[in-house]
Amino acid sequence: MLKMVLIGAVAVPAIAAGSVAATGVVVVDVKEPRGGHHFVVPVPLALAQVAAAFVPENKTRLHLGRDAERYLPVARQVLAALAEADDGELVRVEEPGQKVTIRKEGDMVRVSVDDGDEHVKVQVPISLALAVLPSAGSQVSASQAVFALQHARLTEVVNVQGRDGEQVSVTVY
Amino acid sequence: MRVRTLGLAGALALVVAAPVRSEAPRGRAWVHVRVDEPNRQSKVSVNLPISVVDAALQAAPEDIMSNGHIHLGRMGKHELSVSDLRKAWNEMKATGDAEFATVEDEDQKVRIARAGNLMLIHVEKPNGTESVRVEVPIEVVDALFSGQGEELNLRAGIAELQKRRGDIVRVHDDHSTVRIWIDEGN
Repeated sequence: MLKMVLIGAVAVPAIAAGSVAATGVVVVDVKEPRGGHHFVVPVPLALAQVAAAFVPENKTRLHLGRDAERYLPVARQVLAALAEADDGELVRVEEPGQKVTIRKEGDMVRVSVDDGDEHVKVQVPISLALAVLPSAGSQVSASQAVFALQHARLTEVVNVQGRDGEQVSVTVY
Repeated sequence: MRVRTLGLAGALALVVAAPVRSEAPRGRAWVHVRVDEPNRQSKVSVNLPISVVDAALQAAPEDIMSNGHIHLGRMGKHELSVSDLRKAWNEMKATGDAEFATVEDEDQKVRIARAGNLMLIHVEKPNGTESVRVEVPIEVVDALFSGQGEELNLRAGIAELQKRRGDIVRVHDDHSTVRIWIDEGN
């Protein structure tokens, strides 16, 4: 009997941890400057998807507007063509105290903005962007967006280093 | 200034192209735009695979473009139409190499000519401080005018662009330089 309880005590958390690892985890990491607080908030993607499913649909859908709807097919076609294209630097803007680059590397579009003391890096898999963009209509669903994060596994999606020393990163594992 | 210049450069990149050499393309073509403004210590560089430009044209909303054809209608106070331009182009094309227009005044010299398979539009200031050089391959203009009526066949123009390598546009003035070209580098 004790053996069964022990097996259950080990197996249940192991299965839960395995399920979470299999479905993915978003980790939000916030470091305050000068030895301040350090928050690490892990959010299992499966949990986020379940939560999104329970929120009323009208609260989780973002209306893009008629103009955006007209250009959604353009965005989809451009992203699909970009996914097929060779890797390279798409945009570079250099001005005194500011540098912006956008690169395409594999399935990833990497945006880097250096504005003096502030540094922002965003990495978005093209497959994620394609999954978020609606193929018809003009609504982006939050649950669809959460589900699309599956395409960004093992990616630091956002990294911001503020001029006051604060650091924020969002990583999908 | 920079945004306007870049916008102009991007628009030009979509509709014109010129080969520096006529070797056959080997790989995928990229359109490059460089805008330098030394006074502002500003440099802008945009590199796009032509396939991406083509994809955007294919999916453009129908009121802007239909099947890669753009409808322009009549333009300007003199009501110049695309069909009028097409007729004029066919006449000019048949004449072979020629100087179509040379305008010289105190401020600038403008030359529009055909040389081989290129249409040349060169504008220069006498003191050399400003110059614009646009070199458009005959095939690209032909492709653009392959639409019907008041339509330009932009997709056909882009298809011709994919075969081109080299400079398309160079603009140089007191404040900035703009270069648009096509190659296989990224």
